[in-house]
Amino acid sequence: MIGERAINAVGTRAVAVSREIGGITILFAQILRALLPPRLDGRELVKNLHKMGNRSVPIVALTAFFTGGLMVVQAAPFVQRLQATSLAGWAAGYAVLREVGPILIALMFSGRVGANNTAELGTMTVTEQLDGLRALAIDPIRYLIVPRVVAMMVMLVCLTCIGDLIALAGAMLVAKGVLDIEFGIMYASFVENLSPADFLHGIYKSIAFGLSIAVTSCYFGVTVRGGAVGVGRAVNAAVVAAAVSIMLLDFFLTYLNV
Amino acid sequence: MNYLVDRIAGVGAYALGVLRAAFELWMVFVGTIAGIWRLYGRRGATRPPGALVEQMHVIGNRSLLFIVVTVGFIGMVMIYQACLQFSRSVGDLSQIGVQFARLIVSDLGPTLTSMMLATRVGAGIAAEIGSMKVTEQVDALRMSGVLPIDYLLVPRFLASIVMTMVLSILGAAIMYGAGGLTAYLSFGVNPRVFYDLAMVEPRHLGLGLLKAFCYGAAIPIVSGFCGLRARGSSEGVGWATTAAVVGSSFAVIALDFMLSVGALWLFGGDV
Amino acid sequence: MSPGAAAPLIEFREVHKAFDGKPVLRGMNLTVGKGEILFIIGTSGVGKSVTIKHLVGFLRIDTGEIWFDGKRVDQLDEKGFYAVRRRVGMVFQNATLFDSMTLAENVALPLRKHKKLRHTSALAEAMGRLEQVYLTGFSDRYPAELSDGMRTRAALARTLTMDPEVVLFDEPTTGLDPVNARRIDRLILELSRNLGVTAVVVSHDLASIFSIADRVAFLYQGRVHAVGTPAELRDSPDPIVQQFIQGQSSGPMETPGF
Repeated sequence: MIGERAINAVGTRAVAVSREIGGITILFAQILRALLPPRLDGRELVKNLHKMGNRSVPIVALTAFFTGGLMVVQAAPFVQRLQATSLAGWAAGYAVLREVGPILIALMFSGRVGANNTAELGTMTVTEQLDGLRALAIDPIRYLIVPRVVAMMVMLVCLTCIGDLIALAGAMLVAKGVLDIEFGIMYASFVENLSPADFLHGIYKSIAFGLSIAVTSCYFGVTVRGGAVGVGRAVNAAVVAAAVSIMLLDFFLTYLNV
Repeated sequence: MNYLVDRIAGVGAYALGVLRAAFELWMVFVGTIAGIWRLYGRRGATRPPGALVEQMHVIGNRSLLFIVVTVGFIGMVMIYQACLQFSRSVGDLSQIGVQFARLIVSDLGPTLTSMMLATRVGAGIAAEIGSMKVTEQVDALRMSGVLPIDYLLVPRFLASIVMTMVLSILGAAIMYGAGGLTAYLSFGVNPRVFYDLAMVEPRHLGLGLLKAFCYGAAIPIVSGFCGLRARGSSEGVGWATTAAVVGSSFAVIALDFMLSVGALWLFGGDV
Repeated sequence: MSPGAAAPLIEFREVHKAFDGKPVLRGMNLTVGKGEILFIIGTSGVGKSVTIKHLVGFLRIDTGEIWFDGKRVDQLDEKGFYAVRRRVGMVFQNATLFDSMTLAENVALPLRKHKKLRHTSALAEAMGRLEQVYLTGFSDRYPAELSDGMRTRAALARTLTMDPEVVLFDEPTTGLDPVNARRIDRLILELSRNLGVTAVVVSHDLASIFSIADRVAFLYQGRVHAVGTPAELRDSPDPIVQQFIQGQSSGPMETPGF
């Protein structure tokens, strides 16, 4: 019967999702244990920081610029109806710093760096390079995964700081171009209405996003099975899992209002 | 001096690469449109049997839970943040629902739904086509006289347009519902005041659906292009999938920006 | 030098292993003496690689015992196996060099991790190690730029940095041209004769077997079907052994699917 089949399908899916959540939790515990004592491989850390930053800065900058502009465009109807140009900076800045900036930057970071990390670790897994490490009595978690997790967290926080700035600049430019609001008015509106707490709220979120992107992307990388097809599937699963976890974390962090 | 020449040459080579990629992307788009004509514009063309329905299932039905969860949560967060800010500065929360409805219909609903779809569907299309490319299945298609674009991309393109529009409507509804619930539970906004569609006009709906249509068309084209460019083996597929996620997400943001600015110019401040 | 069965260094006792309910090893017994070159031969999928992977803990046996140097190792956890892996090196079929590193960096990694050398001195030592395997001019190349034979040799150099007592080779000459295959053979022989390293080689390369093996174990249907010196095996009256050694497509041997 159709009902039975649907229930079966839902059950199978639920079991699969539970297994993956369990796997991610175990990996997270292993990472924490490998951080005690915190002996990081410096070369791997520096290499990853460099690589991840290089790869993601252009796309994050572009995204942030458009995001800032979009917020102004969306606020435009109110601003024009109320004839209150000083509100544009408030609306755009608030949305960018607390919500849209960290989320969109994290999504882009997940697509660029997280997905790439999954692909890299996945390729290493299918070509047995991880077993190669283990055969040399080197713990892959300590040597490969921990530096990547740390690098991703640090990098995402840095990128969110840069991205926030670029987004505000984008908001100013678009406000000038589309709504003909002078830079000075936008700047004053930012300064008056935005507090460091708004900025910090976004940064706290980006720390959590960075951690969840890092752990999920590593998990799906090291559990790849089945060659090139498997790597593609793993990257797909990793970005989906990262997107869901970003949304969930955003929800809880907003409610906790840290 | 040599260093400078090298740098300039490097920038030039990069720019050429970007131009070439843009041209190839455009050709994939043109090829897909031509493919639709080849497959559906004439009588008696051989179409891949069941491909369209299958792709609609993969793109639409399989994304349902993902979209409901992510868009639902983001709807709650958006309203929570908006209420928080309004209650601090204006103090009057009765306008939130009315304004939010307009914003969801014309922008947030389709755009956020499509951002999420770009992640899931874009990665899926690139992974699938990329895997076929590196295992030489795409060449095998060509050998058997089938154009890979017709067989692989046309069904995904059509399915994606239909399903992105459908899911955008669903996403908007979920966002609106979840937002109202949050406003009621956290700030005590009366649902009757919140759920007020007075500000939503046909042109808002039209703009929202146009956005969904464009996103739905862009995601499979960008991802298919990335998939078809995959080289090497597992590493190549990984690269293609990564590029597809970033490319199609960015396409959504850029299209949103262009369409929003365009609508603002067309309708003045009333969009 | 007489290969000593007197004091077995490695011992497999009644080892059983099944994958997804399909038995691969069915009560396998095998001893390896100190300093000998033992070849494990058999048709594809008979469990040769599976056997040696148990010794370093990449796979876990279902029942039975594995002993290494007077200690039982099959019950160790992942951490316990790191001690074994420092004494038992493994060279994988596809070398498993890390493709993001040059040959020198590959070889330097275990030196850095286990001998606590700084990066520059580890690199200097790595040059010497590469010389041992006749790869002097290639230290700055990446694995993808080299032939299979060179990669296998580099992987051997990397394994030898740990000064292992035993080296496991998983099909080291499969897919190599005869010239490069004989070079690998020569290296294995030098290893055993000059450094006293015990070598366990999984192979079906008959030329290697008859040129360097001290003893050969022939695996068939999950057990060691015959074991002895190459000469003994060649003169064995057993029809199954004869079929394998002479490479005949038909005979008494039962292989799945043919």
